[in-house]
Amino acid sequence: MAGFRSWTTVIANLLVPVGILTFSSGFFPYKPLIPGLATFDETGQNVIVPAAFDKVIFMVVDALRSDFVYSNESGFLFTQSLIRSGAALPFTAYASAPTVTMPRLKAITTGSVPSFLDVILNIAESDTSSTLAYQDTWLAQLKATGGRLVMYGDDTWLKLFPGMFDRADGTTSFFVSDFTEVDHNVTRHVPHELAQDDWSALIMHYLGLDHIGHKAGPKSPFMIPKQHEMDSVVTEIYTAMQQQDHLQSTLFVLCGDHGMNEAGNHGGSSAGETSPALLFISPKFEALGGRRESPVEPSGDMQYYQTVEQADIAPTLAGLLGIPIPLNSLGVFIPEFLEMWDHGSHKLRILYQNAEQLLNTLTTTFPGSTFGPDSPTSCAPGLPSGIEGAQCAWARVQQLLSGRDEADDSYSTAGPDLLQFLRIAQEVMSRTASNYDVSRLILGLLITGIAGLLVLPATYKECTRHGSSGMFLTLMIITCGMMMFASSYVEEEQQFWYWICSGWIVYLHMKSQSSAKPLSHKRSGLLLYWSDKCIILVLAITQRLLRRWNQTGQKFAAEPDIARTFFARHPEIFWGLFILAYVDAGRHLLGSIPIPGLLRLGVLAPSALAFTFKLHFVTSESPELLDGTFISQIMKEWPYSLSLVLHARLVFYGLAVVVLLSLFAGKRSRVPRVPYDTIHEALHIFLMTQSRATNVPLFLIFRIQAGILSSMNLTGIEVTITTLIFQYMTFFAFGGSNAISSVDLASGYNGVDSYSVVLVGVLTFASNWAGPIWWASQSHRLRPKSPVGQDPSALLTFHVAVSLVSVMAACTALRTHLFIWTVFSPKYLYSMAWATANHVGVNLLGEVIFSRSRSRHSS
Amino acid sequence: MPQDTSSALGAPSSTPQTLVEKPSAPPVNILPSLIARIYSIAHPALLLALGATRFEALVANPTKELLSTLPWLTLIQIFYVIVCLPPAGSTSTETSASAPTDVKSSPRPSGPGGAARHGKHGKRKQHANSWACIWSRSLPALLSVSLTFVLATPVLTILLVLFGAPLTTHNSETILCAAHMAVLSATALIYAHGLDRGVWNEVWGIARPADAVWGSALGTGLGAWFGAIPIPLDWDRPWQAFPITILVGAYIGYAIGSLLSRTPLVYGKRVKFTSEDLSETEKKIN
Repeated sequence: MAGFRSWTTVIANLLVPVGILTFSSGFFPYKPLIPGLATFDETGQNVIVPAAFDKVIFMVVDALRSDFVYSNESGFLFTQSLIRSGAALPFTAYASAPTVTMPRLKAITTGSVPSFLDVILNIAESDTSSTLAYQDTWLAQLKATGGRLVMYGDDTWLKLFPGMFDRADGTTSFFVSDFTEVDHNVTRHVPHELAQDDWSALIMHYLGLDHIGHKAGPKSPFMIPKQHEMDSVVTEIYTAMQQQDHLQSTLFVLCGDHGMNEAGNHGGSSAGETSPALLFISPKFEALGGRRESPVEPSGDMQYYQTVEQADIAPTLAGLLGIPIPLNSLGVFIPEFLEMWDHGSHKLRILYQNAEQLLNTLTTTFPGSTFGPDSPTSCAPGLPSGIEGAQCAWARVQQLLSGRDEADDSYSTAGPDLLQFLRIAQEVMSRTASNYDVSRLILGLLITGIAGLLVLPATYKECTRHGSSGMFLTLMIITCGMMMFASSYVEEEQQFWYWICSGWIVYLHMKSQSSAKPLSHKRSGLLLYWSDKCIILVLAITQRLLRRWNQTGQKFAAEPDIARTFFARHPEIFWGLFILAYVDAGRHLLGSIPIPGLLRLGVLAPSALAFTFKLHFVTSESPELLDGTFISQIMKEWPYSLSLVLHARLVFYGLAVVVLLSLFAGKRSRVPRVPYDTIHEALHIFLMTQSRATNVPLFLIFRIQAGILSSMNLTGIEVTITTLIFQYMTFFAFGGSNAISSVDLASGYNGVDSYSVVLVGVLTFASNWAGPIWWASQSHRLRPKSPVGQDPSALLTFHVAVSLVSVMAACTALRTHLFIWTVFSPKYLYSMAWATANHVGVNLLGEVIFSRSRSRHSS
Repeated sequence: MPQDTSSALGAPSSTPQTLVEKPSAPPVNILPSLIARIYSIAHPALLLALGATRFEALVANPTKELLSTLPWLTLIQIFYVIVCLPPAGSTSTETSASAPTDVKSSPRPSGPGGAARHGKHGKRKQHANSWACIWSRSLPALLSVSLTFVLATPVLTILLVLFGAPLTTHNSETILCAAHMAVLSATALIYAHGLDRGVWNEVWGIARPADAVWGSALGTGLGAWFGAIPIPLDWDRPWQAFPITILVGAYIGYAIGSLLSRTPLVYGKRVKFTSEDLSETEKKIN
């Protein structure tokens, strides 16, 4: 490896991906999802279990903590009387972290435990990928049987289930200070819907109680009146269930999606947050004779009555309503409800369906393990835990069932073992889904830390050799690492890079002033003198422009900027700069090409193609940029026959041909040399093609900045620091941020007509990291000519390792933090991209190619 | 900001070129009188204390508060420079025997003439504590204040914008913030150095030797830079609004810079790049 000074750097760079993989495997446990809808197995002579209910009223009260319903201070007086009469079966439903509404609704409806990765991939709330439209839920099952669904309340349901509801009225939870309107908006539909008989599921989601919690906490004076209000809704529904004929066979579920802590907030995993109430209500339950006391004292912290998993709601509902259990459910049918069936074979069938469904998810998740009637040899009587335990329990169930006769009491023999299998399987599956493997997290941290330590000596040497710039770099790396622990600095990371960049510009200015003194007094002309003094101002101005190009982050994201606000108002300025950027790119490509003669002019073809492609792209993707400009006139006159895909391919092939031609010409010339200028210019046009149209003029600014920087005669380490800062700064200037939602996917399919992970991945990376890639390439042109002491790999690796370690440490330490899903985990994903694609794929690869040729060049 | 202040100045030998090309103006001393020495220490503390009392009003209405306190700040600064600092040209009074006002009105051209002043940074024996002396210093003070408003404020406004201050909004806040920073930093600089081109070249290159005047100016700038840190935090506090943290940073930086740069550890030293940095540049130029 010619580009690396020492083997430690190589090992460190091999360790970084290993560390990332280890950490990720502990942080994002893999959980396969089974696609499709579950159906009953109708081939065999299995017993068909009659449905206990044919309708369901599902009432979610946001943040309904268990004690709000069950304790002495509760306002749910009527509901408590239902518990006493046996018409309501009360539970405490464990809601695992993150205790926020959307993942909780997923758990309630699918019966699965959403994993981190699942939620992160779906966190982009604005788009449609977060829906459950393609997942198996009890709603989809009801819909599949031909039922109609109605929904009133929190519009998260509407986002999760687009097109699912026949009638719906969503309310947003945006105005948290609104306690009454949000709920009134639901309640006013209730009498009307109770009179209708066309629905099979009526879903209500009340937000007011959660709003009170957020605003004033669980002890708020508004809380009891709100509970009375919710209780009156329960009264209204229960009365209708008793009186209306079409509601005779209706199941009424009242539950909270999550609880709240003593401050009234939620998201974490404290007892208050994870313990919502859950009640199944129907006059039919009175016959079961399950009379309970109410109000009662909790048995544990917030634990009232029996504690079940929130995921158990889905299979229980499915069993009671006579629909198949959703495919990915990890729930266990709540055994209390087995008493709804008199026949033992029905009870057994319910449990056996549940067991088969869970077994299916088990074998999908653990393809290596086999389940059969032959128990593994290691099956001890004490029942091992984990996947072996599940195997043993299943083996026992099979043995019991195969030996049964058609007698009714097979339930009483096999039932307990079936339940035991279900519980073990649920535990095994839930652990893969939501628990962090802390030992792997720490192992990943350690491996990455070792990578950092390996390059520490080289970095230390380099930093001490260049006193002040080394100090600057060290302070920058440390500050940047510390920042990763504060959620708002992660959200606003661009501010740090803009801030440090202005400091670095001052540093470069001081440096150039102190070294330029001898030059300035050579009477080399007043103009040169002043340009020498003030050139830094141009750099500062361009940096200031970059900073305002795209507003990003969270806090100031909505403020006016150049790309969206200024260009929308002055399209002629935008198009002027746009054309100038392409003219400049074409001119430089032409100038860089080492081919003599008229053939040179041929290289203008890809530039022109790239220009027309971008116009073509803008016309089809963002035509609002064209409104009322001279370009729109031209575009109207210009009939395009090329498809966008073909057009993009022509650009890419054209650029490739130019690069290949120049490589060929370079080899043929008397002094063989690699034509870096041509490669850089071709890359320049490629990156312009991959960038958003409004970002194209940024490449003009880059050109100016690169010109100024190269006139400053930077030393090796200064080039490295400059490149590092500019890489991060331009990433954010292009509109990037640490939120998943800011990933620009528009240019990922340029020239690709069918999905290919690698191609689309590379193109998407290039369009989001266009700035960093450009500066990585430019850094080789800024380097001093002398080849000695020119190895930034160790420094870059050190930076990457330290930033990764700090992000990993932040994710590990703050794994129960409210923002882990929205802030820290996305940042970790971005750090992965920075460390693998940008560091290894762009910086180091460039380093290897360029330094090899440099050493060859100098020898 | 990494500043290598490890080398002693008195020794401009650390940067040989500078020595050959032009001798720079020496660091400025606080006047030797007892009042000057006491007040020069009390002054930064006084400014901070006064600033702290006005903090809440500043948060409530930045523009109004900045505007109404600006005259008072200017008066305090005038008082400070008159009491504590030698006016421009007074350093060379002893050698070139020219009247201070003379030098003031016709700015001294930089160049070989300045060589005579080199090395004269010993303590001057200035006993006159009479009204005449105060009067002779008020004219340069007034001149420096007017130059602060006419020249330094626009320059600092531009610099603030370049460092990220909003350009399309908050204009009055930016200008007033720049004015406060200018009165803090530039008044004393102009008062002590006049329009000495060499000094201002050094100021532009951030290469002045540390003294009370330059230390406070540099501290003001650095403090303002660090003042930007709390702005992105999501605490939703009213004081996180744009000019407030910058200005608080500038005031604190002023106080620290002004006091710190007088200590023997720092006094007279300047930001310097290691020989490694420079020699590598040399290599590259050749």
